Amino acid sequence: METRRGFLKKTIGGAALLLAAGAVPLALRKTQLRTPKRPLRFFTEAEYSVFAAVADRVLARGAAQVPRELERVLASRAPAPSPAELDVAGKADAFLAPIDAASAKELKQLLALFDNALFSLLTGGPPRPFTRMTAAEQDAHLERWATSRMAVRRTGFQALKRLSAAVYYGSPETYASVGYPGPPEELVRTVRAARARP
Amino acid sequence: MSGIVRGDQVAKDVLLTPDVCIVGSGPGGAVMASRLAEAGAQVVVLEEGGYHLKDEFDMQEATAYPRLYQDRGNRATADLSIAVLQGRAVGGGTVVNWTTSFRTPDDVLAFWREKEGAALTPEALRPHFEEIERRLGIQKVDLEDVNANNRALYEGCRKLGWAVDTTSRNVRGCLRTGYCGMGCPVDAKQSAALTYLPDAVARGATVYANCRVRRIEWTGKRATAVVGEVLLPGTQEQTGRTVRVEPRVVVVCAGALNSPALLLRSGLAQGPVGKKTWLHPTVAMIAMYRDPIEGFYGAPQSVASHHFAHRGADAGFFLEAAPVHPMLSGIALPGFGASVTGQMGLLPHVSVSIALMIDGFGDGEEGGTVTLRPDGGPRLDYPQGARQFECFRASMEALARVHLANGALRVTSLHVPPVTIVSEHDLPALRAAPLGPNRCGVFTAHQMGGCRMGSDPARSVVNPELRHHFVENLWVADGSVFPTGLGVNPMESIYGVSSWAAQHVRSALAKA
Repeated sequence: METRRGFLKKTIGGAALLLAAGAVPLALRKTQLRTPKRPLRFFTEAEYSVFAAVADRVLARGAAQVPRELERVLASRAPAPSPAELDVAGKADAFLAPIDAASAKELKQLLALFDNALFSLLTGGPPRPFTRMTAAEQDAHLERWATSRMAVRRTGFQALKRLSAAVYYGSPETYASVGYPGPPEELVRTVRAARARP
Repeated sequence: MSGIVRGDQVAKDVLLTPDVCIVGSGPGGAVMASRLAEAGAQVVVLEEGGYHLKDEFDMQEATAYPRLYQDRGNRATADLSIAVLQGRAVGGGTVVNWTTSFRTPDDVLAFWREKEGAALTPEALRPHFEEIERRLGIQKVDLEDVNANNRALYEGCRKLGWAVDTTSRNVRGCLRTGYCGMGCPVDAKQSAALTYLPDAVARGATVYANCRVRRIEWTGKRATAVVGEVLLPGTQEQTGRTVRVEPRVVVVCAGALNSPALLLRSGLAQGPVGKKTWLHPTVAMIAMYRDPIEGFYGAPQSVASHHFAHRGADAGFFLEAAPVHPMLSGIALPGFGASVTGQMGLLPHVSVSIALMIDGFGDGEEGGTVTLRPDGGPRLDYPQGARQFECFRASMEALARVHLANGALRVTSLHVPPVTIVSEHDLPALRAAPLGPNRCGVFTAHQMGGCRMGSDPARSVVNPELRHHFVENLWVADGSVFPTGLGVNPMESIYGVSSWAAQHVRSALAKA
């Protein structure tokens, strides 16, 4: 969720990476494009597509290691809406629209670097943009960023991960899938009314 | 004009000449406004955040964090390694905090007097705390009112023979819904917006909400004006209107991080402004229980253990609980994919306990530093080193042991990737897991320091009476004046210290 300025430039490595990534505009790097569901206010279409692809994997379901005693509980949960159904990238776009120029520039640089095929190759991944990798390759890519020895990549991973998770789990449509009944609105309404009486 | 004025009600530029201008309406600013207005001073309070009342508090995280927190819930250290929860509203952090109320520990006050020449004593603060506790309804929680999330911490500590107790909370008629962090929906929490600010307004004070102070103007040893830009409620865009206040006395109560940033923006960089910022850096552990805990409901914080508050040369820490709502949990879980979505699917079975590092008491400990971002806001850096790592490891082990003792099925850390503990045999793995920026989740809900008080202008920003060392009619009265962390939740200390400082501001007004 955070988009603090300075986090990419903090290290010399970060500055060099930004130079490398900045040498080619994102649009030329053959990002696999997705069509936004509403007009974009912050992302370009390519940035929207990268973020949407990240959100898909960050919030992917799978065989989770949970205590055996709770496997049935997990299996009984209501189905979760997909990040695409919730338009996580579109909601992130709206959230990011008012951020300041310096933060915006950094986040855009981060998305460009994250989808950069050359950078993927140089850091042990396949020579493809993130948006054109298989799901397994994407997970390995995320893992490399999350646990990188380069602080700037760990920061970048957290920025994308937290924003995806914040938008997704802040949406009431996901509450049933995590077993959260939601706020006690009826109780609060009743008490407000009772206390409003003279 | 008195009352609370919103940004959209300011139709033209405003020039005001009251006795006092207070910047910020959190606990420091609110009680200061109340005390000075009560003494007959004309008071104007400028507050960047909006004025929000209970009917707007919908108990939804997606509404509350952007509306009621700094940087729309997005504040963090520059490298994102520490997420910063800090309120931003009329009433400041008291609108969104979890109500935990402690007086300043005596040994902390003694340390401040001894090391920094502070004047504060338990005796001097006592009448202030007593009045504040009455006004805010601060009372100790009954054990039967503790929710299962806090109860897990309580029982685990008891089983280990560790000191633990219920806390005191500033509530009246609390329903224990669990939504303190999103603004109390039934006005049970006695926030500054419901107590000291209305008290001040009743005595003629005016509060400008949605007014972001850009700078303090000063010449020689006098602050001459405070200049604020008016924001639109909701979008927080500038309206182009300004509020200019030319008071006799200025009191900065914008909170740690924002107070030092305001001084820096104003060219008041004398002394260690922004230095030695303390955060009570906080780690968390996630325990999974067979029976539902439902940590999203019930008073979010009602139990604390200070068993490890004093650890000799190592940093002490204290243990509390944190509410378990989906958005904050989703942000905090460190990995991605099934490891996040699987744990989230079991949210009602999760208990979250936190350990807060008591920073500021180590030899040569520097803490964090506030400088200015390009847009003038505070940039925070807080390097993590050996002292933090030792404390985090000891903290996480303590939290793991609490939940193992209490019968948790398993406990997981916020390392990337997480360490899973099902028995004491797994504790060495927890100790061995790497730490460092964004290798393990770290948070802060307690920001302190940056305008520390003291007798030496080279080591402090304000003097023992909280007056600026160089500008004679400028005061700072909020958590930023604390020379160290507190070892307890800071709200009541901020109220108490500001209430105490108000007498000094009052006598300065009488002389001016």
